[in-house]
Amino acid sequence: MKRWLGKIVPVFLLTAVAVSAVLIGAVYYNFMSQKIYEDSTGYLSEIYGQVNRSFATFVEKNWGVLDGWNGYISSCSDSEAEKFLKNRQEYWGFSEFYFLAADKSYITPDGKTGQMQLDDTWDDLVTGGEPVMISEKLADGQDTVVFAVPSEHGEYKGTEFDAIAVSYTNAALAESLNVDAFSGNAKCFIIRNDGDVLLSTQAGGSVFGNYLVYLRAASDLGEENISAMEADWKNGESGLLRCEIGGVSHCLLYQPVGYRDFYLLSSVPQSAVSAGFLSVQNTTMLVLAIIFTLVGATVIAVVIVRSRRQSRINKTELQYRERMFDVLSNSVDDIFIMLDSEKQTVDYISPNIERLLGITLQEARGNIRVLEKCAVNYNVIFPRSELEAIPLNGNRYWECEYMHQSTGERRWYRMTIYRMEIGGVRKYIVVMSDRTLDQQMNQKLREALDAAKSANEAKSNFLSNMSHDIRTPMNAIVGFSVLLEKDAEDPERVKEYTRKIMASSHHLLSLINDVLDMSKIESGKTSLNIDRFSLPELLEELNIILMPQARAKAQSFTIHVNGAPPELILGDKLRLNQILINLLSNAVKYTPEGGEIEFTVSTLPSPSPQYARLRFAVRDNGIGMSEEFQQQVFLPFSREINSVTNKIQGTGLGMAITKNLVDLMGGIINVQSAPGKGSTFTVELTFSLPDKEEEEQWYRRKVTRILAADDEEDVCLNIREALNGSGVDVTTVTDGASAVELALAAHGKGRDYDIILLDWKMPEMDGVETARRIRDGVGKDIPILVLTSYDWTEIETEARRAGINAFMPKPFFASTFWHTVKPFFISHSEGAVKEADEGESPLSGKLFLVAEDNELNAEILTEMLGIEGAECNLTSNGLEAAEKFISTEPGHYDMILMDVQMPVMNGYDATRKIRASSHPEAKTIPIVAMTANTFAEDVRDAFDAGMNGHLAKPIDMNAVRELVGRILDERGKG
Amino acid sequence: MKKKTRTRMAKLFPFLTVILVLAALFLLASCEKDIREGADLSVMGRKSDVEKSYMTAIFEHYEKSTGKKLHIISVPDDEFETKAAEMFKKGEGPDILMHFNNAELQRFDIENDFMFLDGEEWVSDLTDGAKAYCLDADGNLLGLPFWESSISGCYYNKTLLDSLGLKPATTQAEFDMLCRALSDIGYTPICWAADGCTWMFQFGLDPIFADDPELLEKLNANEIGYSDIPEVEAMVRWIREAAEKGWFGQNYQKTDWNGISAAMSSGDAVMTFIWDTWFYTDFTPGKYTLEDFALMPVFMNTVDGGTYEGGNLNMMMVNKNSDRRELALEFLSFCATPENYNVAFDGISTVSSFRGQTTNIQSHMVTSAAASIAENERVSTAASKIIGYSADDMEDAFARLFRGKLDDAGCVKLMDEMRLGRAKSRSAPE
Repeated sequence: MKRWLGKIVPVFLLTAVAVSAVLIGAVYYNFMSQKIYEDSTGYLSEIYGQVNRSFATFVEKNWGVLDGWNGYISSCSDSEAEKFLKNRQEYWGFSEFYFLAADKSYITPDGKTGQMQLDDTWDDLVTGGEPVMISEKLADGQDTVVFAVPSEHGEYKGTEFDAIAVSYTNAALAESLNVDAFSGNAKCFIIRNDGDVLLSTQAGGSVFGNYLVYLRAASDLGEENISAMEADWKNGESGLLRCEIGGVSHCLLYQPVGYRDFYLLSSVPQSAVSAGFLSVQNTTMLVLAIIFTLVGATVIAVVIVRSRRQSRINKTELQYRERMFDVLSNSVDDIFIMLDSEKQTVDYISPNIERLLGITLQEARGNIRVLEKCAVNYNVIFPRSELEAIPLNGNRYWECEYMHQSTGERRWYRMTIYRMEIGGVRKYIVVMSDRTLDQQMNQKLREALDAAKSANEAKSNFLSNMSHDIRTPMNAIVGFSVLLEKDAEDPERVKEYTRKIMASSHHLLSLINDVLDMSKIESGKTSLNIDRFSLPELLEELNIILMPQARAKAQSFTIHVNGAPPELILGDKLRLNQILINLLSNAVKYTPEGGEIEFTVSTLPSPSPQYARLRFAVRDNGIGMSEEFQQQVFLPFSREINSVTNKIQGTGLGMAITKNLVDLMGGIINVQSAPGKGSTFTVELTFSLPDKEEEEQWYRRKVTRILAADDEEDVCLNIREALNGSGVDVTTVTDGASAVELALAAHGKGRDYDIILLDWKMPEMDGVETARRIRDGVGKDIPILVLTSYDWTEIETEARRAGINAFMPKPFFASTFWHTVKPFFISHSEGAVKEADEGESPLSGKLFLVAEDNELNAEILTEMLGIEGAECNLTSNGLEAAEKFISTEPGHYDMILMDVQMPVMNGYDATRKIRASSHPEAKTIPIVAMTANTFAEDVRDAFDAGMNGHLAKPIDMNAVRELVGRILDERGKG
Repeated sequence: MKKKTRTRMAKLFPFLTVILVLAALFLLASCEKDIREGADLSVMGRKSDVEKSYMTAIFEHYEKSTGKKLHIISVPDDEFETKAAEMFKKGEGPDILMHFNNAELQRFDIENDFMFLDGEEWVSDLTDGAKAYCLDADGNLLGLPFWESSISGCYYNKTLLDSLGLKPATTQAEFDMLCRALSDIGYTPICWAADGCTWMFQFGLDPIFADDPELLEKLNANEIGYSDIPEVEAMVRWIREAAEKGWFGQNYQKTDWNGISAAMSSGDAVMTFIWDTWFYTDFTPGKYTLEDFALMPVFMNTVDGGTYEGGNLNMMMVNKNSDRRELALEFLSFCATPENYNVAFDGISTVSSFRGQTTNIQSHMVTSAAASIAENERVSTAASKIIGYSADDMEDAFARLFRGKLDDAGCVKLMDEMRLGRAKSRSAPE
């Protein structure tokens, strides 16, 4: 308020002073003008009074001299009279002298004759004997004024006369009257009282016929004024009027001449009348104006200088503040903008906009609407209608999301727009408060809340599902156990109940495994165990696992390989196996009997030679899935509910685990399905490839040429491609007869094939028959292998009898091929030993040290080992086991079976203790983990602790046999 | 090919010869037609001139009254000057030639081709203006003026002027006063039609050269130019100043021929520079009618007392070398007899060329200004006697002056340049 007053008061005072000065000047000017008008009109009256008197004197003189000449002229001769009059003309300056006759004709001294009008004055002149003055237009067209006096009757040059006269032209009269006041701007007339102009003193003549009529037409005088003036003239009054003629102010002065009704009328421009006075007035006003101007200019100069100084200070301060604001705004994430309310042009914008939104200052200053590019949730920012709706000194805010133009980073702002008036100009101040952290925090909180809700929901669902899924097999186990106890004496029922209890137990185990697996994966604790593995081996294992299941449902199960996938890859074989088994098991499970299941491995273009990208496709023509279910097929516990699936046992976790594993491996999984038409699951994964040298070790064999026969050209091509570059010359034929022919021909030439590969099922001549004929022709030395995608156990006996040495699963892999043929190129003794071991359990006769804290489990294990012909010593914790082993003689135990989670000392520590001990077999005694911890990490931890193998609980004796056999075998090889 | 052509030519030759002979005979017959058909006199003139009603009337009246026969040689207007000059050059001129006393007359050897007619009886019956028109530079009467005529001057609205308490001007100063007074009251003093009405300029120039024939002679001899004549620039200056003072009104540059009548009949404009017969041919009465107008001289600052331009008169000139010149003189006397010319001009609107002319129609404006006309009338000189003078050129030069493209001297210079350009194109002396 004080500041406002500080500004307004000086302005008010200055204005008051200026207005006062102007008012004083105006009053003074008016006073002076009035005074000047009065003085000048007085001056005018005085001048024209003198003129009038001069004119009257002039008239009187003319009449007088005419009277004087009268006697002389009448008495002298014509020549003397002419000479006299010429002389007088030169002296008096009249235009002409006239001898006037009674008929108004005249004769001049030089004899020119003419006729005068003289109108009504003639009677006055001749009859009345009075001198007259009259305006006459003579023969030459000139307007003249004639002065005449009666004379004695006389005769001049033969013409009688009764009066004499002189005439003056207007110009001559004007000169005689010497009315040259007012710089020639004055018009002076001798008029009659009706306005008729008798003479004018204007140089060059006159065009005014009746001045009263002229004034009516040309002046601004109203009829009242003109009538008053006319009345004056009738009454012989003098007067002064002011009027405008042609837009110029004139003074009209009229005075009676004193002769008849003659008036002297002068019309003078006001400016001419007052010229002298006005000059003084103007000079005075000019001086005053100069003084005022100087004073004003001085004041203004002082004000300007002070204002500029203040402006500079303000500007500096403004720059300082702006700079400080720039620096401050650069250090925060809020953006500040000032907009002009009318044009919406940018007056200020904080420079941090470039950092925060990726918009340059120039862009933003040029057009603030550039912000619309960044706005995520608004198409138009600063909409005029909404801005104008903000009341003065009010504000409004919007929550806006913006995206950085360069980095794509999202930021959230609360954009508050204040409408205010600054220095009389309306502005919008926009404060964009950064709410990104808040938003992110809220987002996290929301996500956490959602996750908690979801987890809670999942937990509820899980418990609900688990309650149902666990209780179902448990119900069977408990139920059949009760029945078992009841019917213990009935061997058939015991077998039946036992089989069902085992089936339910396996399902329960599978469910528990899946649940634990899922739990592990979802908790992010799952990691991949990357190692080199053979793709053909994987496929063979899958074939082994899935073929029986498919066969059980009379389904065809085929494996196809497109392209030439690498044989050795780096990856988590266990997890890949798990993925594919899940998919293939589901395919078998959800495909009706007699259906088709096709498993295809394809190579995809790889971005780098160090990587291989493979597509695993599992196609079936089973029951398929609805569109809706496809959306949630990968969610836990999701099972499509229909009449078919209801009969199929499953945990609903398999696909979720599969999906999580694929994600874990950086791959993608897709499903295409239609109800009743089957499903196709596609998994695409990228694998690292091992060094080339590792692959090359496979090509060290001395196989240089082989013969392959298969009725499918694709298979032939596959074989050629697979062995391409291996140095092996591959000859392929598509029927058995050709194979026989080529083999016999080669043998005849002494250039037998190193290996002969035969398809089992070929038209006309199958693989067995072909082998028999070849064997008949070439003898027993050439290994003959049968290539088949079927279970060869049915024909194995007949085939071996026909001379077939080995079987190979389709599809053809070079590694499988080499692995299969390897025994034929090494000593027969090894094979013999291996064959001799077959048929006897590898556990038979072995002594195991068992560490198991659970007595029930320990008892089961003891019994099972006993069934296998083995014995064991039990310990109840790791420490006890370690000490027991260390205290025994070398060779006492064949193997240690170690539980992991045990009191006192766990299995890992116990293993480390054993390995670290000084027992001679500390490093070599096989130690196998036997634990319910079944994850890959658990396996890895077991190996890391120094164990040689891992067995999952519950103990599967087949797995125990296989593992123990293999370990002992390797140990035996030393 | 050539042989074939020659054979055809040989066949056509007699036929072509016959045609050529017949054509030659036809031409000869044409030349001698008037003689062989018994014409007594030949009169040659422009087609448009000899077909005027009063001309055909006098021809017929002559033939009927005297029983003599006239051979009227009517020449297309655009061929007239060339053909007439050639015929006189070859000594084949008609007995009587109808021609205006203008610059084109210089194509002839005036002294040797035509008779001077100062001694004829009818000369005293000619009005001063008509007689003056027919004189050559040395004061010899070249022909009998027998034509319709008008008086050009400043025609003004007398009724309006009287109502304003004003009277007509008698001097240039008074005219300026009058213009100023009218302008002060709010009237347009002069209706000046700058668009296409090109005649006005010659009114101002006429007194300069009519009053000083020597000046005209020097100008036409290219011894001097307009720039050497102060009155010319005085006229230019006055016109420019009048325009600047508003004496021509606001729209004078757009006013054309058709605008004059409206301005004058409505009283918007008080005066205009025109001729009397215009009031009978183009003036449409409005608020003011013919009776409201009067005549005073034109003032354009070239002569103090103003001027009137007399009409351009067609003269009947007698071929000095004709065998029938006596008969030709008799024909002229016949035409100059009051009872004959009053027959011919009966009902024709024209200023009288003969003092005894009574049957023609003469406006009250001219009649009432007779004294002033007698004192200030001048023969139309600028337009007809300045070689290379073109009213269109004058309009062009003044249009540039009015638009401010030229100053007074520049306007005079341009007038001169354009005049010389036209003079050269007519092979005038340089």
